[in-house]
Amino acid sequence: MSANEMTVERLLRAHAPHAPEGLRARVLASKPAPVRRWSLPPRRLALVVLPAALGIAVTAALVNGLVRSGNHPSAVQHGSAATAGATVTDSFSTAAPPATQRVGAGAAQSYKLKAPETPSVTSSRLAHTDASLQIRVADTHALSAATTRATQIATSLGGYAKSVDYRTPRNGDGAAYIELRVPAQNVKAAISRLAGLGTIVSQQLSVTDLESKLETQSAQIAQLRRRVAALRAALADPALPDAQRVLLQIRLAESKRALAQRLSARKGTISAGATARISLVIGTEKAIAPVAHRGRLGRMLHSAVGFLALEAMVALYALIVISPLALAAALVWLWRRRSVERLLHAS
Amino acid sequence: MNAASTSLDAPALLGGRPAFADVAAEQLDAVYRYLVYLTGDRGAAEDLTAETFEKAFRSWRRFDPRRGSPRTWLCKIARSVAIDWFRAETRRRRREERYARDMPLVEEFGDGLPGPLQEALRELSPAEREVVALRVLLELDGPSAARVLGISQTACSTRLSRALRRLEERMDDVRE
Repeated sequence: MSANEMTVERLLRAHAPHAPEGLRARVLASKPAPVRRWSLPPRRLALVVLPAALGIAVTAALVNGLVRSGNHPSAVQHGSAATAGATVTDSFSTAAPPATQRVGAGAAQSYKLKAPETPSVTSSRLAHTDASLQIRVADTHALSAATTRATQIATSLGGYAKSVDYRTPRNGDGAAYIELRVPAQNVKAAISRLAGLGTIVSQQLSVTDLESKLETQSAQIAQLRRRVAALRAALADPALPDAQRVLLQIRLAESKRALAQRLSARKGTISAGATARISLVIGTEKAIAPVAHRGRLGRMLHSAVGFLALEAMVALYALIVISPLALAAALVWLWRRRSVERLLHAS
Repeated sequence: MNAASTSLDAPALLGGRPAFADVAAEQLDAVYRYLVYLTGDRGAAEDLTAETFEKAFRSWRRFDPRRGSPRTWLCKIARSVAIDWFRAETRRRRREERYARDMPLVEEFGDGLPGPLQEALRELSPAEREVVALRVLLELDGPSAARVLGISQTACSTRLSRALRRLEERMDDVRE
């Protein structure tokens, strides 16, 4: 700093302007707003909020994992040894519908049990049964034989094979995907006999009560029939004015169409209750990978990671939504800053 | 240039939040000086000072001594108020079809400031005058001044050197 610069500074300081007394009195007469006790500067706030949000996200994921790992695995596709031979008993003893009962048997026990017990699902109520089995066979020869045998079992029990998809893409490996339909009363026998085709890797049985649905449909049909009969009776009256007759004819046509739809739907319901669906996958060892069995910790971590991924997805989505707004705000801020610079540099 | 600031510039030493009345009494001259230099108009500076303190009263609860001195905080408010004033003035001048250079600066920047220095200050841009006010008159340190101006410390130092050099040159011309 030169001597002249110091002189300039000294002069500026020595002759600095002082606020007029009027201004001083005006300013000091004002009263401040009450002090807010707790506050954090934005940077510190961010330093607190971000780790806290991260901590909450991880904790939520762990809690989710912990809760989910406690669920009995039989409720899902991947069963465990503990569920082997589980039986659904008296599943439809109450009038309350319904319900889908599911029982699974998984990989862990499949290597020990050649033919696990099939759950006994007996009820006088109309219900739809849906079963799926994965069966492992030794090689493609056994696969071919098992596929043929599976269709024979269905036929012998009064059912049929709806579709057969037989694939042997690699040497020594292959799989057959078979959709079977068997009478509902024979589903247990069918599963038992199909289980004998090889080693069961997994099985799932799902029973859905259709009784209430059937009752609803029957009630609607009865009501529509009564309406059709009433409309016909009304139309038989020769004294009916033409305009009203046309109106009633339209209503009759609508009621008949609705009746036909309900009848068709009820037929479908009865058919679904009468026939059980069995999805069968027969495959060689490499074609059917056994379901990995996880311990409680493994399941918990798996669920937690899944939950974290979901959280990350939500965060990413929010970021995508917010980023254009943030960009616009940044541009506005930049523009305002530039305009201030221009304003103050104009001498 | 790093001269000692007033006691209110060192909140850490105070160990807490100062009373607003003390801050207002202490900083009134500083804010007024800053606004006189920035606007080049004493009348406007007076109004803007009052407006600055009104704003400061309203937002006093948001003031955090840990983030900076009361002087720095008040100067930031004063700058924002002054920028609004500059914008309004620009619009007014546009309406009246006058240019910024026509702005009459008949008032003095300092009390009894030598004429040549007064003239030299008038030739500076508001941006140059404000950095002189912040660093020389208000004795803010480099980081605080840069924070008020919203620029880097290097840019702040450069601007100050340029402004002082221009003032010095003007003074030299007068001496010769």
